[in-house]
Amino acid sequence: MVTDPSARSLPTRLAADTRLFYLLPVLALFVPLLTNPYTQFVVNLMLVYVLVAVGFNIVIGNLGQLAFANTAFFGIGAYATGLLMADAGLPFWAALIPGGAMGALAGFLASVTALRGIRLYYLAIVTLAFGELMRWIYVHADVITRGTDGLPVPMATVFGLALDSEVKKFYVFLAIATVVVKGTSNLLRSRVGRAIVAIKDNEFATASLGIPTARYIVLAFVWSGFVVGIAGGMFAVLIGRVVPDSFGLIELIFHFAMVMVGGFGSLAGSVLGAIVLTAVPEYFRSFPGLEEMFFGALLVLVLLFLPKGLASFFARYLPLFRQRFYRE
Amino acid sequence: MLSGIAQGAIYALVALSMTVVYRATTIVNFGHGDMVMAGAFVAYLLVVLQGLPFLPAAIAAVALLFVLGVAIQRGLIEPIKAGPHIGFAMMSIAVGYVLRGIARAGWGREVLPMPRVFDIPPIFVGDLILTGDAIAVIGVVAAFLIAFFVVFHWTRIGQVIQAVYQSERGAALVGINVSAFHSVMWGVGAAMAAIAGVLLAPITLLYPDLGANFLIRGFAAMTLGGFGSLGGAIAGGLLLGIAEQLLGFYVTTKLIDIAAYLVIIAVLILRPVGLFGKAAIVRV
Amino acid sequence: MTLRALFNSSLAALAAVLLASPASAADTTGITDTTIKIGIPGPFTGNASSYSKAEIGLDAYYKWINDQGGIHGRKFETILEDYACAEAKGIAAAKKLIYQDKVFMLHGNSCSAVAMAMKPTIVEAGVPWVVAHAVNDKISSPPTKNIFHGVPVGGTYGLAMAKFVMSKPGTKTVAIIQHSNDWANSYCKPAKEYMASKGIKPAIETTLERGQTDATPQVLQIRQLKPDFVIACLYEAETAIFLNDMRKYNVSVPVMGTAGTDLENTLKRVGDLETVKNYFVPHNYVDNTEGPRMKKWNDIILKYYPKETITGFSAISMGSAVAVVEALKRVGRDLTREKFLAEMDKTKDFDTGILAGKITWSATDRDGVKEAAVAGFVNGKPTVLKSWGEPLFK
Repeated sequence: MVTDPSARSLPTRLAADTRLFYLLPVLALFVPLLTNPYTQFVVNLMLVYVLVAVGFNIVIGNLGQLAFANTAFFGIGAYATGLLMADAGLPFWAALIPGGAMGALAGFLASVTALRGIRLYYLAIVTLAFGELMRWIYVHADVITRGTDGLPVPMATVFGLALDSEVKKFYVFLAIATVVVKGTSNLLRSRVGRAIVAIKDNEFATASLGIPTARYIVLAFVWSGFVVGIAGGMFAVLIGRVVPDSFGLIELIFHFAMVMVGGFGSLAGSVLGAIVLTAVPEYFRSFPGLEEMFFGALLVLVLLFLPKGLASFFARYLPLFRQRFYRE
Repeated sequence: MLSGIAQGAIYALVALSMTVVYRATTIVNFGHGDMVMAGAFVAYLLVVLQGLPFLPAAIAAVALLFVLGVAIQRGLIEPIKAGPHIGFAMMSIAVGYVLRGIARAGWGREVLPMPRVFDIPPIFVGDLILTGDAIAVIGVVAAFLIAFFVVFHWTRIGQVIQAVYQSERGAALVGINVSAFHSVMWGVGAAMAAIAGVLLAPITLLYPDLGANFLIRGFAAMTLGGFGSLGGAIAGGLLLGIAEQLLGFYVTTKLIDIAAYLVIIAVLILRPVGLFGKAAIVRV
Repeated sequence: MTLRALFNSSLAALAAVLLASPASAADTTGITDTTIKIGIPGPFTGNASSYSKAEIGLDAYYKWINDQGGIHGRKFETILEDYACAEAKGIAAAKKLIYQDKVFMLHGNSCSAVAMAMKPTIVEAGVPWVVAHAVNDKISSPPTKNIFHGVPVGGTYGLAMAKFVMSKPGTKTVAIIQHSNDWANSYCKPAKEYMASKGIKPAIETTLERGQTDATPQVLQIRQLKPDFVIACLYEAETAIFLNDMRKYNVSVPVMGTAGTDLENTLKRVGDLETVKNYFVPHNYVDNTEGPRMKKWNDIILKYYPKETITGFSAISMGSAVAVVEALKRVGRDLTREKFLAEMDKTKDFDTGILAGKITWSATDRDGVKEAAVAGFVNGKPTVLKSWGEPLFK
């Protein structure tokens, strides 16, 4: 009888993990039985933020670069999808991919700075500046973006079916999220993912092995931008209105917190971090004013006692969380 | 124009305080803007609620923030030293968040006024207008900077600081308590932030979110002047303040908000090391 | 239960959830024999939290009505929900109040952008919604079945502002300084349009963004122009900064502000009368904020929220609350949402005793308050003005 999970052979462990992974979305299908439109809305928001966290994690967790352009990707995806739906009349399923593509393009632009050798805090600041600049553009290019009042997003339709309830949105979002997360997982487990993590560990060594680091850096940023851009499109549809203020520094801190609480570099951790941090503020509705302090205190506590995030906590019990793509 | 220098002086102070911490511990304090706010808030509390006159309140606020800075370094930064560098960034953000939350809880729903301190009528020199506020701010910051550099270059303590900046290991080898140094420099950085906050308090209105503004301006100034360069931070801050005003007056006031971001992006495209900085470029 | 039975029933439940039908005609959600539940969404935290004073005033009023005996044997149960002026939180708050707390109606909202984001959810649910602070006219126009605007909309204010500016004899050049957001536009745009219709174009339009601590370039630009009047569509903090800078550079031109500020608190913020003596704001109330006619309402607020500082925002939502209570009284004991909506639409020229303008609602026009006065400092005291130099009450 094997008691230590890690003593099982690698294929068995992976098989167990994948079974758990596929089980989650199936279980999730029954969530609407337990929710009312309010809690369903919160669940939908969680799905959006799962993608946000997963996407952000690729760049700051797996690639290890302090690139704070996430809100830029989020906003660009939201506006792209929103504009395509509002002005070009495209249905949701057709507008979402271009939204993700625009996010990917933004990711490409962000990667250019990283490629030019800009690292660490420089990168953090310039990507932050990029995000804020985008926000200024959203406000002032109001002929296109409708400015601070926001861009109203028409009813989302998927192949003719109108997503007029939170539950319908849930199923569509669940499908999208599952596909994207699985895709990201595959990517990270592939040669591309290992190269990305290798770059994080030691860029010089990786290059000296003949791995084209530039290509993989760009790929990481582009994929991150794509995932977060898709999340942006979903966000636009969920809120029904794309507003510049949604993509500022406070939002960025929230994204960062999700990845951090979940555990840098851990895909499952990011999923968990997103779910937890979306739910926590809703629990604190009854104590306004304390929420901010609590959130900050929570972050401080996690940093002090669980620096590797919730993933490290669960890794003891579930091999799923133990899938680290790098050594510590 | 002069108000540009005055604004720039405050940015310079913020940038300098961030650089001090950065040079000492290689950490960029993302919560620094909130420390500025905290300094202003403490000063306000002391003046309005305790009835202290401005100057003692200001000094007390600076002292309190010094203690806070040391405490944060001791209690929150030291313990996570072994973790990834990115953890420091997050911790500093988290601390800033908590400071903001406390301020908002204490502030409640109000926007707070500070009684006017620098009530000197403006002096008109030809086309140049000197306002009481601007003179006071520039004067205080200039005095402080002179004092700072005197200490830095001509005293024992300054030599210790320079030693640790140049090489921590070497400094430790010659018997300097590097760990205590870190704590103290965080305290110094926080205290300088408090000075900036205290100078701000009578000029503008206080609200919990004013930190974010100064954080970005501090970044821009550091980037412009060259990351890690003390003189560069000051130069960067002044230039930024002047640039904002000039852009606003001559081009359009809409640009003032993003002047800092444009500066950051322009510098990093054109001359990444900034004016006086050392290279931080990694080429593989 | 067999697996197949479990699966079938799950499928059935799922189908039921997906095909759920809306509420029926005699809607008594949120009403019990002894209570009426009212949801009050507001920005109690976040950077707009000073506006939530309006919701505090509202809550105080409903509590006061409870102490007077309630309405036809029912007392109000108010549920305050915070949305920190963020759209996602606003929608969450609306959905929670509607679907989880199951309130009878919603009353509140200070942030226009969030109100617009919440609008689709509320329209779909058919819950009566009285917007009691936010000024964006798109919230209540075109009219929907269940939305009422209980304060003047931006257009009304803008008109009042422009009319006052023009009532100053000899006004020819006007400068405009505003935030580049839609809140500011909702005041400044109608003001500009009215002035344009009278042949006056702004000599300069300049921007001061929220969060900026210095207005020197803007003030210097204005100083160069020597206008007769300045219209400032700015939030509280920025207004004070602007006025301070105007004084610093000795520019003494009258300034017309928005309903986002009030005289007493601006005075407190800048600290001296010289700076604000030329400042005017649109005024919503039948008296100055601390005047005798307002005392009753201020006292109500202080009774239930003793630590609250009264500002120009505190009583604004109470006006619509007076009208709501009046409509509820008219419906009588047999209360349903439909009857309530019908009675609200019968509100005509209703004098709330708080608001300067009377409230009129009808099914084709839910923009309830169409008048706003202006207030300024006369002999150092905030005074309600009819036009330039003419107090409303002699």
